[in-house]
Amino acid sequence: MDQVLLYVLTAAALFGIGVYGLLVQTHLLRRILAVNVIGNAVFLLLIAWAVRDGQPPDPVPHAMVLTGIVIAVSATAFALALLRRYHRDTGCVSLEGREDEGG
Amino acid sequence: MMDWWLDSLLVLGLLWLAWQAVSAPRVFRSVVMFIVFGLFMSLCWARLAAPDLALAEAAIGAGLTGALLLSAYRALLARHEQRLPEPRVSRPLAGLIAVLCALAFGVLAWVLLTVPGVETPAGREALARMDDLAVDNPVTGVLLVFRAYDTLMELGVLLLALLGARVVAEPLRASGPGPWQRPGLREPVLVAPLLALLVPLIVLMAGYLLWAGTSAPGGAFQAGAVLAALGVLLRLTGRVRPTMNSSFHERALLVLGLAVFTVAGALGFGFEGYMLSYPAGWSYPIILVVESALMLSIALTLALLFSGSGGLRGGE
Repeated sequence: MDQVLLYVLTAAALFGIGVYGLLVQTHLLRRILAVNVIGNAVFLLLIAWAVRDGQPPDPVPHAMVLTGIVIAVSATAFALALLRRYHRDTGCVSLEGREDEGG
Repeated sequence: MMDWWLDSLLVLGLLWLAWQAVSAPRVFRSVVMFIVFGLFMSLCWARLAAPDLALAEAAIGAGLTGALLLSAYRALLARHEQRLPEPRVSRPLAGLIAVLCALAFGVLAWVLLTVPGVETPAGREALARMDDLAVDNPVTGVLLVFRAYDTLMELGVLLLALLGARVVAEPLRASGPGPWQRPGLREPVLVAPLLALLVPLIVLMAGYLLWAGTSAPGGAFQAGAVLAALGVLLRLTGRVRPTMNSSFHERALLVLGLAVFTVAGALGFGFEGYMLSYPAGWSYPIILVVESALMLSIALTLALLFSGSGGLRGGE
């Protein structure tokens, strides 16, 4: 149980770090990193939950997280493609700077 | 006691790396820290008795995501040192929000861990029924038998991400990792021997992961990611070049996983009366065929996402 508790607390802390990064960073590449950190926090919670009772680990959360990892990389790739296009069209790497232009 | 130290060190490293990834002074450092963060996550999965995830995370989470991030970093390089606008939320307020979010996360996690009625979740049921299956790895069993819908839909999402990335993609010379060597310079002498060594090893590794996936950690996702790494390697060293349009073969390969899986699921509809149940006695060969098709589709999709092109062609 100790190990589970340790990893669950870590997941909570990672979630907080991710949210903080998402709020204070304006560089979009870093925001993508922050979202990935948040996603990993949720994965960590699910996998810690899978071993909570010391029995053989629950395969359902494992399968869900495996699916999640693949979805996360495809979503990240799509986000990076959007970012590159945005940068090419506007020359910016953040959303905030464009407020005055109405974008 | 030893385990406790190991877990504590791992967790501390994880937190420090995550903090660096979101707040390091330079973006390049953030990206590198995030890649190392992925490797630490992989170690955590191993500690938490999830070797399937450890393999997937090392190949996908740290490997491919890292390659994608570095490639995007390079594309944005000219603008990195420009003055970034200040965030709309002040840092103390953001810190407060983050702490509250972490607390809410902790409370929800506590509820999840202590809520009654989770003594017999679906996973226990799945483990109890593993004997009926043709595969021995419970994770593969869940992915391809008990919750096959998830996997089928995931293939759809993967394809959708590639289509989306293609729609917003830039012209070919501006997408993907860019030219791999400066004009006029010769290829470093070690590249060719390295490829000759690595390419067969990667193919062997992917084949092993696929084959072992039915009884040991591994499976279509891990094997697909390793094969995608082969695509990344060949693209980076200029052995394949990107093309705007994908050939018929590439399109067929991209939808192969989805198509084969759907057909296999429909077979179940005909024989057993409901979707995604395999005909009795045929489940092992069907699972193997489906997994092979999944591996090929996943590998090509991920490789094209990295390459930022519609297709890949051999030769210079």
